[in-house]
Amino acid sequence: MADRIFAGVLLIVTLAYAAIAFTTISAPFQYDPLGPESWPQILSLVAIACLLVIVWKPDAIELGVAGRTWLRLGATVIMLCAYAELYEPLGFVLATILFGGALSAMLGAGGVRPVIFGVAAGGLGYLLCVTLLDLNLPEGDIFETLLAAVPRTEGAS
Amino acid sequence: MEAVLNGLATGFGVALDPLNLFLVLAGCFGGTLIGALPGLGPINGVAILLPIAYGLGFGPESALILLAGIYYGAEYGGRISSILLNVPGDAGAVMTTLDGNPMARAGAAGRALSLSAVASFVGGTFAVILLSLFAPPLASFAVTFSPADYVALMVFAFASLASLVGKSAVKTLLGATIGLMLATVGIDANTGVARYTFGIPDILAGIDFLIVVVGLFGMAELLTLVEHQVSGKLKSLPVDKSFVRLVDLARCKWTIARASVIGFFIGILPGTGASVASAVAYGTEKRISDSEKTFGTGDVRGLAAPEAANNAAAGGAMVPMLTLGIPGSGTTAILLGALLMFNIQPGPMMFTQRPEVAWGLIASMYIGNIALLVINLPLVGLFARMLTIPQHYLTPLIAILAFIGIYTIVGNPFDLLLITGLGVFGWFLRKLDFSLAPVILGFVLGGLFEDNLRRALSISGGDWAILIENYKSITLYILALLVVMIPIWLARRARRIHGGVPAEED
Repeated sequence: MADRIFAGVLLIVTLAYAAIAFTTISAPFQYDPLGPESWPQILSLVAIACLLVIVWKPDAIELGVAGRTWLRLGATVIMLCAYAELYEPLGFVLATILFGGALSAMLGAGGVRPVIFGVAAGGLGYLLCVTLLDLNLPEGDIFETLLAAVPRTEGAS
Repeated sequence: MEAVLNGLATGFGVALDPLNLFLVLAGCFGGTLIGALPGLGPINGVAILLPIAYGLGFGPESALILLAGIYYGAEYGGRISSILLNVPGDAGAVMTTLDGNPMARAGAAGRALSLSAVASFVGGTFAVILLSLFAPPLASFAVTFSPADYVALMVFAFASLASLVGKSAVKTLLGATIGLMLATVGIDANTGVARYTFGIPDILAGIDFLIVVVGLFGMAELLTLVEHQVSGKLKSLPVDKSFVRLVDLARCKWTIARASVIGFFIGILPGTGASVASAVAYGTEKRISDSEKTFGTGDVRGLAAPEAANNAAAGGAMVPMLTLGIPGSGTTAILLGALLMFNIQPGPMMFTQRPEVAWGLIASMYIGNIALLVINLPLVGLFARMLTIPQHYLTPLIAILAFIGIYTIVGNPFDLLLITGLGVFGWFLRKLDFSLAPVILGFVLGGLFEDNLRRALSISGGDWAILIENYKSITLYILALLVVMIPIWLARRARRIHGGVPAEED
């Protein structure tokens, strides 16, 4: 059943892909027999054929994921999205402390260990990547505005 | 022969450069650590570390040497978790658990680990020797391929993929097609027409290869780990002082030789990597030498066969990648994408145009093999420690590494959301028995496939008959047909012999 639903959703996407390939894409002028639309057209036909086979004869697969596992997965995805959103505003160190701590706590690290892990991952990760490997990581917008604000207030006073 | 020796001389010149030598060793060491982590296979390891390796700003040959070292090391490390934990890091290591884990449970963990290290070394070295002999002549033959022949080659590649990889041929084909479709996003190079960009400027140049790889492999792996999460530590068997004996080696020598040959040639087939090779090698060995029915209970030969085969396959998979520009496995597809990021088009011309990259990589594989054996025999206890890293620290670490990698390269927080989304998609694909390697293969090969098709039809002025005009393309189509038909025929025959009992999955 899960197979059929997934294939059905993909089928809708593929039909949209095919519709664009057959109607919208076209080159204003071209010298070659195959334009930019031909290849997506061929691909969409192959994909639709495969999807129809799966919808017609799905493997009997159930996802077999328990309710609590869904909850855990959903929470992980939300945390990842939050981590992505906070990456630049809070900076790598702070965002990693929050994310690493929260995820390891949810996955079963007890007591103060999540906090230690988060701080270690954020602090050591930043030192390792920025100073040793010379990679580019966000320092954090709030720190930049704070730092920028300090001299301005000094100048005002 | 002379070309080979000259090439190897160039290659060792590159690989013995102090920086590169350090990178081989670091890659092998890091790769073994990653491979030893339970549940994290070579392909995920390379996927997660690829952006970081790229971000370090090395030259193409150094970055590739580092990545190949990681790939190799992870193939080595995979056996540690298979043997001590009975948890294979990836599909290629499943066969190792069958005899390796019983040996460890019987108190011969040290012996199993050292034997498998020797078997891996022999398989890997055998493959790299054949690679250096085969690659130059194959490359000079491949230079004569016309665009139409390349189309045939792609068809063959996808046919062998569909027939040999994954549980369902339709799903594998669909996975490859999804990859090809993802590759059509962006501006069409021939006409400048934007396709499927929906006016979003970020994807005008196409979806970034790194984002697809890290999303589909790294992040999907992370979600799988969360799903199967077991609280606390996994029970690891202790590493004892026992060591591989000459008797064991004498008993396995033909097993290792056979498995190496099988592994190498299966590795060459496009798209089929270590998983198929180790399964076939184990199956063959069981048929040939399991007279006392000891396979599966801790037979040394049952351990040596898949280990030799999967390392030989890792070398074999490099052959089509270096000579034809068509990756032989999911992991080499990632390496190929890495080459493309450095503006190096892998393929027949690479041996003449960028010999330092091609031969440097080959030479580094010789060094890497020796280094792995030397690192692995004494340090196995250290690597075994990795097994006891609790999952609740490992999982966030994967996400942190993946985010660092993507952010340092692209510097756009939107991409962090994109890899999360692709991770969810990849997790669903995995849950539904799609294998992800075909998707990445399709994505990497998409541009090449389309370009050659269009070029071929431009040459013929739109006549599709050009695709089957040449003996080379016709041979490839016949091979493609055979690779699809033979497994079906074998399965039918097996079913007839077993009297209607469904053929055993292997």
